Amino acid sequence: MAARALTKGLLGLRHVRGATVKFSNTGHHFATSSSIKSSESQTNSVTEKILNLPLEKPDLFRVSELFSLKDLFDARVHLGHKKGCRHRLMEPYLYDSSLDYDIIDLDKTVEHLQLALNTTAETAYRGGIILFVSRRRQFCHLVETTAKDCGEYAHTRYWQGGLLTNAHIQYSPGVRLPDLIIFLSTLNNVFQQHVAIRDAAKMNIPTIGVVDSNCNPSLITYPVPGNDDTPVAMELYCRLFKMTINRAKDKRRQMELLHGLSEPSASSS
Amino acid sequence: MAVLCRLRFGVRAAVRLSSCISIRTSFSSDCEAGTRPESGFAAAFQRQAVLQREAESYTGDQSGSISGQEPNFALLFQMVPVRDRVVVGNIFHVVRDDLYIDFGGKFHCVCRRPAAGGERLQRGSRVRLKVLDSELTARFLGAKTDTTLLEAQAVLLDSESTSQDIK
Repeated sequence: MAARALTKGLLGLRHVRGATVKFSNTGHHFATSSSIKSSESQTNSVTEKILNLPLEKPDLFRVSELFSLKDLFDARVHLGHKKGCRHRLMEPYLYDSSLDYDIIDLDKTVEHLQLALNTTAETAYRGGIILFVSRRRQFCHLVETTAKDCGEYAHTRYWQGGLLTNAHIQYSPGVRLPDLIIFLSTLNNVFQQHVAIRDAAKMNIPTIGVVDSNCNPSLITYPVPGNDDTPVAMELYCRLFKMTINRAKDKRRQMELLHGLSEPSASSS
Repeated sequence: MAVLCRLRFGVRAAVRLSSCISIRTSFSSDCEAGTRPESGFAAAFQRQAVLQREAESYTGDQSGSISGQEPNFALLFQMVPVRDRVVVGNIFHVVRDDLYIDFGGKFHCVCRRPAAGGERLQRGSRVRLKVLDSELTARFLGAKTDTTLLEAQAVLLDSESTSQDIK
């Protein structure tokens, strides 16, 4: 009975302490596995420290410096559609309607855009896949060049039904889906909501979307109320997203270099 | 109570109002209990002083954001091209006889090249327009929302270059 209690106690200790408890009978097998585990845990702890860095500060990538309210005003981001085209759910984001034209409240846009850019930066920092989606033929080339410049992906053509939901059959079983989808215009050419918004919500993929006064912001994780019809506004958004993603990737490379210098010394000791 | 009345609350300080109401209830409950009235009042007074200081610093910050808000509203009526308004636009795309002109509104307008002096109008030339409608929309029968053409309608007046030549 005493022996049974002792073994139980030892087992309990093993579960709690993990690699540090040594058993005499298993000898060298346990020692080698413990040494591998300790080096893995050290590299894991370094990557964890790199990954947790942006979570400690509210704005590590300083995205609030990238734009100001005046920039948004000059790019005509506040202009909305006519009152008759207004979507009921966009009413909280609208400031006023001057002679039937809706004006989007730029204070709210600034807040939402900062949140959205912060999310993009954090996703890019962690090496996530970002997909730019827009069905506006006028801006499809701009969106594709933006995605190419920041090393991410774009989809500005016809969206087939099962691209996200049926990916394991349409592509291959182990395909990796995007970690963030950015909609530069949430409507498709027939003024219906883009299918990808619903599909991304089904597949638990966070979305950022530029919602105009005739769009439905409900399924989008980070809606950014703003104009999506004027070329100046679209160029502004593309430039902002490109700058945040490049900043985040540069920061990650910087962090890895910084900690990469200390990594080999830790594993050798 | 007098301290509460004297503090001025802005629109965004509604949260502060609710916190002040909670302070007031805690103060009254402390008085009723009668066990430690001094600590209740002292705590409330200290909290009020901190809040007043915060409110003063916030109004100092808010003036910055208000000035950001003001151009949005004040320049509003100047920037939105209203009906029957003469504006200057510049041509950004040309397709044979159609000129795509951007005049600073949400949408561009498409005008036909005028017969007289039309060859001079190329990409980048400035023209004078009379904006008839900043966005062409209409509600059709049985529709919930308007259908929009994503275009404005304008009429080409004499282009600036021709008016300068005449002078």
